[in-house]
Amino acid sequence: MQHFDPVNFRDQFEYFQQNPSWVYLDNAATMHKPKRVIEAVSNFYQRNNSNVHRGAHSLSQKATRAFEQARDDIAAFINAETRQQIIFCSGATAALNQIAFGLMHTLLQPGDRILITALEHHANIVPWQLHCTRFGVILDVVPLNADHQVDQQSFTTMLANKPKLVSFSHVSNVLGHVQPIADMVQQAKKAGAITVIDGAQGIVHEQVDVQALDVDFYVWSSHKLYGPTGNGVLYGKAGLLEQLTPIHGGGEMISEVQFSHSLFNILPFRLEAGTPDIAGVVGMAAAVNWLQKFNIDEIKEYKAMLLKQFFSGLSKINGLDILSSPVHNAGIVALNVQGEHPADVAELLNQQRVAVRAGQHCAMPLFQQLGLAGAVRFSLAPYNTEADVTNSLQALAQAVEILTA
Amino acid sequence: MTLDQLLTDTKPALTQIYSDDLPELTETRDWQSKYRILMQLGRKLPPIPEKMKQPAFLVRGCESRAWLMHYYNEHHDQHFFVLDSEARIVKGLMAIMLCLVNGMSNAELKKFELAQAFDKLKLKPYLSQSRSSGLAAMMHRIKDCCH
Repeated sequence: MQHFDPVNFRDQFEYFQQNPSWVYLDNAATMHKPKRVIEAVSNFYQRNNSNVHRGAHSLSQKATRAFEQARDDIAAFINAETRQQIIFCSGATAALNQIAFGLMHTLLQPGDRILITALEHHANIVPWQLHCTRFGVILDVVPLNADHQVDQQSFTTMLANKPKLVSFSHVSNVLGHVQPIADMVQQAKKAGAITVIDGAQGIVHEQVDVQALDVDFYVWSSHKLYGPTGNGVLYGKAGLLEQLTPIHGGGEMISEVQFSHSLFNILPFRLEAGTPDIAGVVGMAAAVNWLQKFNIDEIKEYKAMLLKQFFSGLSKINGLDILSSPVHNAGIVALNVQGEHPADVAELLNQQRVAVRAGQHCAMPLFQQLGLAGAVRFSLAPYNTEADVTNSLQALAQAVEILTA
Repeated sequence: MTLDQLLTDTKPALTQIYSDDLPELTETRDWQSKYRILMQLGRKLPPIPEKMKQPAFLVRGCESRAWLMHYYNEHHDQHFFVLDSEARIVKGLMAIMLCLVNGMSNAELKKFELAQAFDKLKLKPYLSQSRSSGLAAMMHRIKDCCH
């Protein structure tokens, strides 16, 4: 394992050599990809490209080996019980849609309750909503406390309503707040609920061990974990994956098709209809294998140090309304300049080549609760530098000055 | 406040923006001053009162909301507009758009090309964010007023 050296780490990203004048703090939207990942994808297309699982030729077997090796690598990365429990899909959104669609009518019956939290991304709200209305399932929402963290007391109380399923994010995509997922899963399980974790922002923050967590489903998108866009992972307990109705029908997911009916293939294939994003999956595994060469605790410490520096700098700028809490934070800060629209702040940062996101960040219900039009979001990654933090603080101070002059 | 009144107040503001502020904006070199001017432009347009911001007038941008009200004088074949936006920079850019098209005839408005007009004024860089800022959506809505 390599000692984490921030300079060496950043050097592995060609993007920063191409765009040296930019400060990229939009990591919660998507992360940059190390050379190793780009090489893995391009290498696959140059040397190993063929369709998987079906070719009569050895070239296809070579591609299949690379693809299935990726499944082994991802399974090991989160300590899944078996490789069959790693389902490749287009990302966290697709995974959550598959779970919601797949459980309605099978495990979820009219009158059942689902519990989510007030800070969920639309991807962990809308898929449930779509089916809840049709199937008569009730959606309950755990409110936030004054620190904009999920109110744990309400969570415990609401579990008494015996929800059939509890789904929550590992880390809030807007605020960066890290949820006590181990404790929440335990409580939910005790209440007899199926547990789902949206790991889109969490998987990059800390090592996830699905067996230690004992969670039923954990999902994420590869592009938020140094990997290519367009693919992700649905992990599930085997018994539950077996009970998911496939959201996509087509090739690969069947063992026998007649016009009257079809027999589904075994896991993982029954949930992977059509030709998968083979090169993307190879890139996803390359990202995970590359990342594991570094000490994840040191990465976490470094990011915490940048976050501390950022918060400390913010305290010296007047007129800010900071929504994120510095504790239990994975490296995301949402804020507003008092009385100003977040789009104006973001545009003035953009002029100074600081990339952030402004708006409601696909979490409209959260902003309705906060009573705000939106926020500017700064999200840090381990390839960011202390200079990035200093420059973004300066740019923000300049923006405030222009706006309030 | 009525639409008539808003139109009456908006017209001289747009004339002033066109004759005074636009030349200043194109001459100014540093970006800070440019943005200061843009934000002042937004302030020069009379705001649409909250009560009048009906959903029918809402123009959805990606990050901020804007509103457009329209009046067509059939007798003189002229289109007149009033607009507002939550975001100040966007409102400033929309004010420029408006001073270029306000009072245009149906045929003129149909022909109008925002990119060309902004290019002439050396304002094209501000259009780079036009989709996310809602400028493009506002231009569509203005064009939709043609018949």
